[in-house]
Amino acid sequence: MSAFKEERLMQVLLAPQISEKATYIADKNEQVVFRVASDATKPEVKAAVELLFKVEVKAVQVANVKGKEKRFGKMIGRRKGWKKAYVCLKPGQEINFAAGE
Amino acid sequence: MSNQETVVSALERRIDMSVPLADIEKDVEARLKKMSRTVKMPGFRPGKVPFRMVAQSYGPQARSEAIGAAVERVLGEQIQAQNLRIAGYPSIEPKEASGTEALEFTAVFEVYPEIVIGDVSAQEIERPQLEVSDAEVDKTLDVLRKQRTTFAAIERAAQEGDRVVIDFTGRKDGVEFDGGKAADFPFVIGAGQMLKDFETAVLGLQAGESKTFDMTFPADYHATHLAGQTVQFEVVVKKVEEPKLPEIDAEFAKSLGVADGDVAKMREEVKANLEREVKRRIQARIKERVMNVLIETHPIEVPKALVQQESQQLAENAKRDFEARGMQTKDLPIDASWFGEQAARRVKLGLIMSELVKSKELHAKPEQIRATIEDFAASYEDPSEVVGWYYSQPQRLAQAEALVIEDNVVEWVVSNAKTSDVATSFDDLMGNAA
Repeated sequence: MSAFKEERLMQVLLAPQISEKATYIADKNEQVVFRVASDATKPEVKAAVELLFKVEVKAVQVANVKGKEKRFGKMIGRRKGWKKAYVCLKPGQEINFAAGE
Repeated sequence: MSNQETVVSALERRIDMSVPLADIEKDVEARLKKMSRTVKMPGFRPGKVPFRMVAQSYGPQARSEAIGAAVERVLGEQIQAQNLRIAGYPSIEPKEASGTEALEFTAVFEVYPEIVIGDVSAQEIERPQLEVSDAEVDKTLDVLRKQRTTFAAIERAAQEGDRVVIDFTGRKDGVEFDGGKAADFPFVIGAGQMLKDFETAVLGLQAGESKTFDMTFPADYHATHLAGQTVQFEVVVKKVEEPKLPEIDAEFAKSLGVADGDVAKMREEVKANLEREVKRRIQARIKERVMNVLIETHPIEVPKALVQQESQQLAENAKRDFEARGMQTKDLPIDASWFGEQAARRVKLGLIMSELVKSKELHAKPEQIRATIEDFAASYEDPSEVVGWYYSQPQRLAQAEALVIEDNVVEWVVSNAKTSDVATSFDDLMGNAA
């Protein structure tokens, strides 16, 4: 059992990030991209992915994505930023999102 | 592909068919490939969506399309190969025990019946005969006069046929009820506009007189709160008017549209109109008889699908008809099945007639259409305009053409069947006893 509470781990992963870039690196590096909670740490993400998808994670890289600046007339607004996690799986592992979970 | 046709009943056919699954898979893939070039998905530029994702989200759709296309193609081939004329749409059922390498299904459909033109020469057709004489013209003029009845005020007791103008107040247990009060209300005694008891009570009253009387509404009166109740009416007669039939004179002729008021000319015109009407009715009678003869001599089975289509059409028409008269059709359940028999007859006639037209060359000729339209137009004020109107709309023209074809068929049947002339009375033909 990992060092984190299950309750917390359930809140770490927000959604899979599906995009051209994400599918490209998935093919190239056996990585999967997630949107994660902004205060999540690398070990938390690793534990959460291992718990929810029953796979083994080799490493996790994270990046803070800045929200876009949007204008409405003279008003300047900013969208929320979010944290992106690149989860690198051990060779031979795979996450199938269509199967649910 | 193994295909097998079985005859279920006289018109129903069943074809068992199979399509190799590999063919379908290939088709699915081709469809998906084509789709993936244009499909849009969030996170991807159009056309850059990975094929796997396209297959995941559009696979089932592409598959059902592919199956549909394959079924249609195979069925089409079968129909072509066996020279079938399908009536309505085939219903397709997949077979449950489909193998792993082929998709099997069954198509059930109906074919048009083979129509053999029957022998009509043994059938008898009655032709009603009627000459329009002065007596008929007089009768029609009488009807016209009655329609133009005017009322003139008179100082005497109200009689049957008079028009009275009254104020009335109805009370039930001393209290006025809804709809029981009116002022300056005109009605004709004996026309059935008011309840019989009410009319009788007003009979014999003079202008200026009033009367109070008790009356019992009939038990089946439409206003349920009054049905069967006894109420008191107070009636004040304001006016008694006597009906006056217009004299047949220049004035009357003018009102009928004869500009110079010539009575003889008016009679001529009425007679011409009557003759046209009589001719039309005789034609209609003969046509009806001919249609019956056709149905009797051609015992064919009609495809159920066609009858269903036709009855649905009829139900639609009936619905529209009601709507045009301002009725609510939502709570009026018009069921297509009501029209089953009528629809079957129409389909049958349609099939027989089209076969007749084909085999006996009874197509409508342009000059016939022209003549029919001119005949229509004759009763209008400006015939040439009406003719132009018909020719400007293909739909109208088609209608005229259908009529001509019908006439041609009628003519053919009449000339091939035994006919007898029967003298008919005017009232009988017009269908009323005026």
